Amino acid sequence: MSHQQEIRDPIHNFIRLNAEERKVLDSVPFQRLRHIHQLALTYLLYPGATHKRFEHSLGVMELAGRVYDVVTDPDNLIDTSVRKLVPRKDRNDDLEYGYWRRVLRMAALCHDLGHLPFSHAAEKDLLPDGWNHELLTLEIIRSEGMRDIWDEIKINPDDVAKLAIGPENYKGKEYSDLEAILSEIIVGEAFGVDRIDYLLRDSHHIGVAYGRFDHYRLIDSLRILPRGNDSQEPGLGVDEGGLHSAEALVLARYFMFTQVYCHHVRRIYDIHLKDFLSKWLPNGQFSTELDEHLVMTDDVINVALLRSANDAEFPGHDEAKRIVRRNHFRLLYQRNPTDLVKNQDACGAVYEAVSEIFGGDNVRFDSYRQTGGGGLDFPVLGRDGRIESSLYMSRTLATVPVVAEDYVFISSEIKEDAKRWLEKNRERIITSTREEDGES
Amino acid sequence: MKRLQRDAVLLSLLENMWAHGSWCGETHLQKATYFLQELLSVPLGFDFILYKHGPFSFDLRDEITAMRGDFLIKYQPQRYPYGPSLVEDVGADRLKGIFSRTIHQYSNEVNFVADTLGNKGVSELERLGTALYFIRRQHAEYEQLASLIHKLKPHISPEVAQGALQDVAEIMKMANKAKLLDQ
Repeated sequence: MSHQQEIRDPIHNFIRLNAEERKVLDSVPFQRLRHIHQLALTYLLYPGATHKRFEHSLGVMELAGRVYDVVTDPDNLIDTSVRKLVPRKDRNDDLEYGYWRRVLRMAALCHDLGHLPFSHAAEKDLLPDGWNHELLTLEIIRSEGMRDIWDEIKINPDDVAKLAIGPENYKGKEYSDLEAILSEIIVGEAFGVDRIDYLLRDSHHIGVAYGRFDHYRLIDSLRILPRGNDSQEPGLGVDEGGLHSAEALVLARYFMFTQVYCHHVRRIYDIHLKDFLSKWLPNGQFSTELDEHLVMTDDVINVALLRSANDAEFPGHDEAKRIVRRNHFRLLYQRNPTDLVKNQDACGAVYEAVSEIFGGDNVRFDSYRQTGGGGLDFPVLGRDGRIESSLYMSRTLATVPVVAEDYVFISSEIKEDAKRWLEKNRERIITSTREEDGES
Repeated sequence: MKRLQRDAVLLSLLENMWAHGSWCGETHLQKATYFLQELLSVPLGFDFILYKHGPFSFDLRDEITAMRGDFLIKYQPQRYPYGPSLVEDVGADRLKGIFSRTIHQYSNEVNFVADTLGNKGVSELERLGTALYFIRRQHAEYEQLASLIHKLKPHISPEVAQGALQDVAEIMKMANKAKLLDQ
């Protein structure tokens, strides 16, 4: 048995890792995560939000191991087709059972290796077309630099990559049912341990209670079940006893998104950072060359921000000043259900009209729509042995709103003028702008 | 196709699926959209992979969520053994009105898919969708395709997979006869 080490953690108390996992932890790509903030510039409004991807990745590994042990426990495998599919300790497939447990924990440990500085803040617009942090994660896992580790511990890096980035991001790869479920344990929209860890951890560091829920109960009640709707396809679900914990997870996500992740000040700082980086980076984009990616951290960007903010000769001076001196653009208009009924693109219409009057450089638009289905529909194993949809079993889940925000921001210097102008013209803008039914 | 224009086509598909007897859960909409785009070439621009219940688009899943957020559709829980249905919400009629030309442009394709798949359950849609997915990607005999399907989806037996492949071939013939396939 590999030697176990323990790392203290504020969320899980102890995170235990063996000698193999320690090799990955000591690698250059993993150590880099010590310098990537989990929540970008959120610490400018919630000062406690200074935690990094490093400890989050360790937490995800810890939880992935716990979930694996629960869902492969022979007592929890109630469905015949699932029993055939899942490697088990109590059969002659000890090797397969152990291999997939190791792969799952490694994948959990590695799932964020490709994150850019300040995590998601600048990802969408500052990478070449077709790239995202998951693709960078894939490249790092398969890189020459990591190959020696995988060879030594006899793990196929492609198995790690598949589970780490999931079928959504590993284009052109077919997933077996087992691989799809194991990947769901890490990145799944209902019970992915990535989400479980970040909600608990972000909540802890920020100092808000919204993200907390009974994850011990939830994990103990997870089961691999046929997805239902007359299909035998297996997926991750819960025992009925864990349904309330599952509801609490979904609500935690909803509140954290509305109160923290989509907070308008956080969103405008992301925009200012993106504006700065597009001027500061060579060709306005991050490099996807791994040797360049691995030395690009929040520390590097922070030094550049300070330098540019204090010297007009440096690129991105105005944008850096907005961040460093906390003179961010202010909220002028946000999504409003009454306006939405009149015009599905009310916020876009306001943005265009305000830009025309006050100049595009003084106005910014931001839109967020929740991705994923929200993890609302999953199989629930009832106390009488029947499997039913969570949305039928839980009225709470059926009514959780979708997180959707649209914002128009205005330069702080002209905020009052813009506000007065918009008050006079808002109704006209919203009702007179129509979407066009052009040729498709 | 622009986002709201695409949403209007999805609303039209949803409406037609209901009219043809479907209880239209998210899986129904996923598989019907797959046939609309992959078989009948309606340019919706979704990226499908083999995942939940066969061909599955994460983009479409996100779009369905966004449509819920924009009050175009909503969930309606169903009694056991059915999963939740998707039904039109308060903003649907207005959007369909704005994009009536686009809806008319693809009405034959939408009607064909709704007529062909509207009365099918999830497991049948899973088999048919998976069969079309393999027919589109692998040039091989049906027997060989059936064993490939079984390998990736062990809960679909090779015999059932072969039946689904033949059913899809029949649907393709019907679409061709209705002049809905690209020549």
